[in-house]
Amino acid sequence: MVFSSLTFIYLFLPLSLIFHYVTSNNLFRNLTLTIFSLVFYAWAEPMWIFLMIFTAMFDYSMALLVERWRGYIGSKIAVTFSVIVNIALLISYKYGGFIHDNLSYLFPLPFDRPTNSLPVGISFYTFMVISYIVDVYKGELKAQKNPLNFLMFISLFQHLVAGPIVRYKHIADQVDSRTVNWQTLSEGVSRFCLGLFKKVVIANVAGVLVKKYLDVGFNDLSSYEAWFGITMFSIQLYFDFSGYSDMAIGLAKLFGFHFDENFRHPYAAISVGDFYRRWHISLGKFFRDYVYIPLGGNRSNQLRNIMIVWLLTGIWHGASWNFALWGFYFGCLMIIEKTFEKVLAKTPRILRHTYTLILIVFSRAIFYFTNFEMLKLFVANLFSSDNPIGVGFATDLMEHVFWFVLVILFCIPWDEIYTKETKVALGAERFYEKAKPILNVAMLFLATLLLVNSTYNPFLYTRF
Amino acid sequence: MTNKLNTILFFSLLFGIPLLYFVMPKQKISIGEKRKLAVVPELNYESYIKGAWADSMDSYVDDHFPFRTSMIDMAVEFQSWKGIHLKEQEKVFVSQKPKVNKIKNEKDSTGSEINFLDEFEQAYSGSMLIINGSVYPMGGGSPAMSRHFSKMVSEYAEQLKGECRVFSAVAPLSSAFIPVEKYKQYNAQNKKTLKAIGSSLSNGAIFCDVFEEMNKHACEKMYFSTDHHWKPIGAYYAYVAFCNAAGFEAIPINKMEKRTKYNFLGSLYQHTLDPSVKNNPDTMEYYIPKVTTTAVRYTAYGYDKQSKSQVFAHGSSGGNTYSTFISGDAPMMRINTNVKNGKKAIVIKNSYGNAFIVYLISHYEEIWVVDFRYSKQNIIETIRKNKINDMIFALGMYGAMSKGTINMMRNLGKQSGIYVPPKPVITEPQDSITTDPAVLPTDTTTTN
Repeated sequence: MVFSSLTFIYLFLPLSLIFHYVTSNNLFRNLTLTIFSLVFYAWAEPMWIFLMIFTAMFDYSMALLVERWRGYIGSKIAVTFSVIVNIALLISYKYGGFIHDNLSYLFPLPFDRPTNSLPVGISFYTFMVISYIVDVYKGELKAQKNPLNFLMFISLFQHLVAGPIVRYKHIADQVDSRTVNWQTLSEGVSRFCLGLFKKVVIANVAGVLVKKYLDVGFNDLSSYEAWFGITMFSIQLYFDFSGYSDMAIGLAKLFGFHFDENFRHPYAAISVGDFYRRWHISLGKFFRDYVYIPLGGNRSNQLRNIMIVWLLTGIWHGASWNFALWGFYFGCLMIIEKTFEKVLAKTPRILRHTYTLILIVFSRAIFYFTNFEMLKLFVANLFSSDNPIGVGFATDLMEHVFWFVLVILFCIPWDEIYTKETKVALGAERFYEKAKPILNVAMLFLATLLLVNSTYNPFLYTRF
Repeated sequence: MTNKLNTILFFSLLFGIPLLYFVMPKQKISIGEKRKLAVVPELNYESYIKGAWADSMDSYVDDHFPFRTSMIDMAVEFQSWKGIHLKEQEKVFVSQKPKVNKIKNEKDSTGSEINFLDEFEQAYSGSMLIINGSVYPMGGGSPAMSRHFSKMVSEYAEQLKGECRVFSAVAPLSSAFIPVEKYKQYNAQNKKTLKAIGSSLSNGAIFCDVFEEMNKHACEKMYFSTDHHWKPIGAYYAYVAFCNAAGFEAIPINKMEKRTKYNFLGSLYQHTLDPSVKNNPDTMEYYIPKVTTTAVRYTAYGYDKQSKSQVFAHGSSGGNTYSTFISGDAPMMRINTNVKNGKKAIVIKNSYGNAFIVYLISHYEEIWVVDFRYSKQNIIETIRKNKINDMIFALGMYGAMSKGTINMMRNLGKQSGIYVPPKPVITEPQDSITTDPAVLPTDTTTTN
């Protein structure tokens, strides 16, 4: 199930809220939330629910062992074993086919290619359990004693499918006890409606243009259209993902949880490094805390560490070489930025912003095309295409002109330009406080309209 | 205070809409989308584990959302706010392949295979050009693909040698006649494809050069702007091409009665929901030969179940305007005319053929119409038992360019449909049929 579906919004969510708030007993609330989360997961992936429950129960047990054997070698063995098992599960279910394909190029393999589908959310919950057990090992938090509570934390439908990667230590107290009031509920409502609006009204509309320009006739594009198509994909990716994170944060608030921010106006970045401090923040922090720093961080072999982190980040996004190339691309950019840090600091802000945007938008091509041959053709079109501008390009621009304005408005970091103390910020806040009930209902209504419209499924020939 | 109001308003929608779900009556079909709406899926282990049950449940929730049709209309309006819409414009519309529910709770009432529909819908999904409110499906097959069709037609010619003449009359796509210079390549592509049919026919099968005849009138509007069919005038030129090939004298169009229907928004509007197409509804002028006819239609399997039909269903309107011709699609139909020349024809067709067939009534005493998509009869038996003189394949290009539909036409000669002579008693149309918008009032018609 996805948040931006009518089934979720108008069936699953009301029912889960009713059952959650039917009593103030925290145990009952956790129980209903766990059951609803498992239903949410099983809706799409009934087969893989047992893998997720196994992972949760395995790491719950290992964390208890880590804690019990603290100060002994057993603690280290338990955490190592847990991390190895989790990584092994991730590799076998996510990368099994990919590894088989590559090894079979080198020598014949005695077994067939794994054909399993990717268990939904495995990339996210694997990192969550790793961060949990490592934090327990480091003594930064106490292991959860109640298996139900831990299963609830892992399976929470708010973050299960697309993050953010929530650290247990950040919400440990909320797992045991949560309070909600009108303000948190209202914040949750506002955040959910904003996320839904971003997903349905911006990302999905961009998605239609992406399909048109990057799927259907990507090889016949002029350079203008190629850049337009890949820019639309950059917009789709950001609003899809950040919209989903907004909805997750909003939904968490509706149930009394507080998740950290996952995006902070990334397209306002002034360097590639800055971009990744604003984009999928929870993933960046995970790699920083559990890979980069343990490797030595900036104290030893910094450039090597950067490259390792980025190659892992790339491959985390998907089991295909293009993601590794994408990671390598960013690893190189990070190293270059590190090397020319002083030059960059002296460069005018507008130039830094422009260079960042161009490099980020270009990187989306590497992300989008899993086939290298197609990527090569597309990149060739980006820089020198003999194709004339296609039919309808001008019409597409005209027919989306107000939508482009909306996209730009959403990309601008208003809160950074007008900090809290400024007159504009105070005025805007006062206006928003008064208008938010209407704004949220309007956003929900418009998103619902478009979701209903997406169910339109016409046939040329009568089927009744 | 605003926090309270904000939360309460949101929750009112969140809980109010599900209540409407339960209170409001459920529709069974969507006329605009030409499909049944989803039903509550049957829950069983297999469908649940494969995720099909969840998909079908999502479809059920989607299909029965309160005020769905009005909301879709509002959404189309809202979508137009994204930018500026110029009156004269060209654009590419990328259509999706329609979703078919994975769990089928009901069997097709005719029991027929409907996979060809998926194949056909596939042909129309993809890119379409929208130029100043007119929709043009792109593509149009290739000479290589047309040889499969020619082979099938030639097989019939071989089998019926000396008994029945076999004609091929395939219509080009509307994209062949886009009135804009830069799209001339579609004209050439259609021509090449259709000519290839003619050059690869054998065993005496006769080629009707529909393209060439229509091309003489390329500046006329021969196709609907909002529907995937040709206009009656386009079908008339195909009829002229047929007459040239068959050795008949075509009836001049000015010798027929002309009638007009307005505000036709057809299938391509329903497909695109494009505002410029909506603002460009079609006017259909159609021509009625001065011939008296009676007609009956049969079910897919037999002649025992028959109902009255008519060659022109003048009452059809709105989205069903094209059903004016032979009252829409039926597995099999028989038309008798007052042209007492003893000549009989059988037309193998898809819906493109409907507008063409109505002109043939001037030349035959009896016309059998077989829709290759629905009929389970053996047409070789029908031809021989009824001593039919001419067999005409009259269809749109997509039908002739797909192996699936070609095999359906080939199977018409092989399948074990049991021939039962027509019964003299004609029953009234069944209620169940009238839910199909393609089936219209079935009084015998006399057109003068």
